[in-house]
Amino acid sequence: MTSTLLHPPAAPAPGSEPGPAAGPAGHPVVVLRGVGKTYPNGKAALRDVDLVLDEGEFVFLVGPSGAGKSTVLKLLIRDELATAGEVIVDGRDLARVSRRTVPALRRRIGIVFQDFKLLPARSVRENVAFALEVTGTPRRRIRPAVDQALAVVGLAAQADQLPTTLSGGEQQRTAIARALVHEPRLIIADEPTGNLDPLISWEIIQLLLRINELGVTVLMATHNAEVVTSLRRRVVALEEGRIVRDGVGGYHRED
Amino acid sequence: MSTILAFPRFLAFSIGRALQGIRRNALMSLAATATMVLMLLLLAGFWLLQAGLVAGVAYVEEKVEIVADLRDAPGADAVLVVQSQALAADVAALDQVRSVRFVSKDEALARFRERLRERGQVDLTGYLDRNPLPASLEIRLVDPRAYAPVVELLSSRQEVVDDVVEVQQLIDRLTSVTNVLRTGGIAILVLVGFVVLFIIVNTIRLAVVARREEIEIMRLVGASDAFIRWPFIFEGAIVGLIGSFLSLGVLAIVAPPLGDLMYGFFQVLPLELGSTAREVVVLVIGTGFGVGVVGSWLSVRSYLAG
Repeated sequence: MTSTLLHPPAAPAPGSEPGPAAGPAGHPVVVLRGVGKTYPNGKAALRDVDLVLDEGEFVFLVGPSGAGKSTVLKLLIRDELATAGEVIVDGRDLARVSRRTVPALRRRIGIVFQDFKLLPARSVRENVAFALEVTGTPRRRIRPAVDQALAVVGLAAQADQLPTTLSGGEQQRTAIARALVHEPRLIIADEPTGNLDPLISWEIIQLLLRINELGVTVLMATHNAEVVTSLRRRVVALEEGRIVRDGVGGYHRED
Repeated sequence: MSTILAFPRFLAFSIGRALQGIRRNALMSLAATATMVLMLLLLAGFWLLQAGLVAGVAYVEEKVEIVADLRDAPGADAVLVVQSQALAADVAALDQVRSVRFVSKDEALARFRERLRERGQVDLTGYLDRNPLPASLEIRLVDPRAYAPVVELLSSRQEVVDDVVEVQQLIDRLTSVTNVLRTGGIAILVLVGFVVLFIIVNTIRLAVVARREEIEIMRLVGASDAFIRWPFIFEGAIVGLIGSFLSLGVLAIVAPPLGDLMYGFFQVLPLELGSTAREVVVLVIGTGFGVGVVGSWLSVRSYLAG
């Protein structure tokens, strides 16, 4: 594994040769075909969902609470398995991936949450390094990778502080650095600005856009109408488990 | 990834992470270790009590003897002595017999006089024209319950044996008491063992639950199950070993005065301290280490499924 994805020219993965910032024309990172998900309690969270994310895309996933956004994200990291259809991430059919290879798959995906999910007793640097340590990365490779990720999110100066001493935006940037440190092909952000005020939210969005420009596909579930509407990016809208709109536009159909 | 280097590196990683986990969660580690020490002391204490009980019971049982009064035939002493020696040899040859002691008429009289003196009673035996006490055989058994063959043999030699002192009832009563004590001791020990296991495992579970967020993050960033599980198992092992050694330290400090006290209280307790001490060391370390490992494994497992 080389540590240059964030510094173009990059080689994101062996066997895939699109340049950095491959753009919408790249080949798909995520493919959902006729996906349905019914939970054991009988609740149908997703119905017949078709969705393709090409390499280098930046896509918003919107919809009211309970529309199925979280379920889509859980399917992509194989936290849940689809009960119908196919989920293909990074060329692998997740229904056929064995339990043993799930961790390797998750290293190709960076995940960012609304509540940051940082370890409070560890410094910013340790939180980011944690993702590499627990996946068995040799020590000598950890330090440079962490420094690089912290530089991208602009937290080099705060590296030795504890998360609790940081602002919400800085905590979320720490989480983004942790998501980046494995050099993922895809970043999944679940309401990353949900706990942040508008100004800080914009900072986080800018950061995700910059990471996207480096060639990383970004899928962001959000309720932030202002951000979605003003950016004019591809928007996938879910309602009651179905995709009701997919295309460049605003947060609402009429925006 | 080189597979030759992968394992030692994984081991180093796991142990390093385990030590880190103990340090970073000092309070929880301390609580788990303290619980471990208390529970191991409880277990060791009951083990020692049980060992003392068994030894005490064995000691009492050993005191049980069958006494056979021998015939007193004036003038035929020589024949009787030969016959009673033959009987003593036959009895000693039985598997059930630990030892046989021949008590002569003179010795019986001497004992009788001794007893009178102890009680402060007037010794009138000097006025007797002859010794009225019979010679006897005192037979100790390997297992007091297996008296039947011995009594049978003695009863079959009517020409030598005058009377077998009735021990059957005494032995039956004694062994029923000692059996209850033995079984009760084991039952209580097993019960205490279960309580100890349950409490230690529960404490470890709490320590793991307190870190479920950490485990969740590990899963999300792509840590494999082994990388999540083994540090916790090593942590459990380390806490278990530290707890064991602390418990053994405490035992080593309190054992001598406690042993003296027990000795003073029971007068004689033929405890084989060497082997009991070894048993306790194995019990404490085995339980601490084993429960630490198994408890961690079980506790982490519930977060890895799915």
